[in-house]
Amino acid sequence: MEFWQSIQLWWQGLCDQFTQCFIEANRWEYITDGLLVTLEVTFCAVLIGIVFGFLLAIVRTTHDKTGKLTLLNAIAHTYITVIRGIPTTVQLMLFYFVIFAAVRIDPVPVAIIAFGINSSAYVAEIVRGGIMSIDAGQMEAGRSLGLTYNQTMIHIILPQVFKTVLPALANEFIVLMKETSVSAFIGLNELTRGGDIIRGITYTDFMPLIAVALIYLVLVMILSRGVTILERRLRTSDH
Amino acid sequence: MITKEKGEVLIHVDNLQKSFGDIRVLNGISTEICRGDVLAVIGPSGSGKSTFLRCLNLLETPTGGHILFEGTDITDPRVDINLHRRKMGMVFQQFNLFPHMTILRNMTLAPMKILKKPKEEAEARALELLDLVGLKDRAQAYPSQLSGGQKQRVAIVRALCMDPDVMLFDEPTSALDPEMVGEVLEVMKKLADDGMTMVVVTHEMGFAREVATRVMFIDEGIIQEQNEPAEFFSNPRNPRLQSFLSKVL
Repeated sequence: MEFWQSIQLWWQGLCDQFTQCFIEANRWEYITDGLLVTLEVTFCAVLIGIVFGFLLAIVRTTHDKTGKLTLLNAIAHTYITVIRGIPTTVQLMLFYFVIFAAVRIDPVPVAIIAFGINSSAYVAEIVRGGIMSIDAGQMEAGRSLGLTYNQTMIHIILPQVFKTVLPALANEFIVLMKETSVSAFIGLNELTRGGDIIRGITYTDFMPLIAVALIYLVLVMILSRGVTILERRLRTSDH
Repeated sequence: MITKEKGEVLIHVDNLQKSFGDIRVLNGISTEICRGDVLAVIGPSGSGKSTFLRCLNLLETPTGGHILFEGTDITDPRVDINLHRRKMGMVFQQFNLFPHMTILRNMTLAPMKILKKPKEEAEARALELLDLVGLKDRAQAYPSQLSGGQKQRVAIVRALCMDPDVMLFDEPTSALDPEMVGEVLEVMKKLADDGMTMVVVTHEMGFAREVATRVMFIDEGIIQEQNEPAEFFSNPRNPRLQSFLSKVL
């Protein structure tokens, strides 16, 4: 009987903690508001990462293949080296406290820019690998039909590259989403910080941290599932 | 099919040279290819015959000499090569079909993007050509669903969709299983019979003998001998050619 009682007590305590952390004073809003900010920052940063990453990769491979774009290639190379060489957290703080120091700016756009730029350097290298993996005959076939370099890139090479690099890109974006949790350093009220605020108010660690952890886990699972579906749809041509 | 005057010079090659770094692959090739010619280019591997072919549409940039295509010096860097490549179809050893597109899309992409043909017109022409090579029912298939011989037939008609003035073939049957070589050669023969100007780098001596109007032997980056096929095979003069033929015939 004592055993059952202790279980009951433990359960009761858990329920109390839950109520205290999320129900009282509508504290769950810290979590949901934070989640929205996390999603917003991740989504916008992914878009920036994809656009700039593809552009950087195209500059780098075009230079490797044709010897043109020397200046742009040097810039792209330096950009990638610098961005990959500095920890994301440091970059984020540099953006917020140094580059945008003069203007009192909302941390959300700063985080979007910082994570987008950071991600673009990694995307660039993923996409560059993808472009290099496409057989040279594809470019030759396109060019021999009279298509320009750009037309061949857009219609023939990049669609194949996208399919090849999709798993690696998905991985990059999963990392990016979790990485946004360091935005607390610039006072961004995202998911992790939402949990922290509750911890500060209630002096409990278990509930808020578990909730935050589970939400990240579910987000990653949804993202992976989405990518699997996308991969399957893109695979129509490899029977 | 051929509307322009037969026999007019289509490609004029003047002292063509190509080096890769220190390695000289082409050491001055001069020849003329006239409308309606079927030129078979043979030679040992590494002789420069593929490089010669790839220079004709500037897939390789020559390091010396000139190539005049329909009167324009395409080795002049100011010339927009894309305009001229439309008129030169090319077929590769490895087919190089676009794997992410259906056969029909493979064939209509260039006519639609470059010649701005409406979709219906481009597709009608593609289906007509597919029918000629017996693959009309595969129009919606993807390249990975086709056999090697089918892929190469598609690659040929894909090039034909641009209505080229000359077709360049880079060892079109070398990557095929033996039983599929015939179907591809048959299409090429049909093309030659229709009067298409063709330059064919090949190891198929039977094709060179029966279909070509002229056979060219390239070794060490120069034309060692060229002649009409009967004389070329029955009475080779160049000792290198004699030794080459004795090995392959």
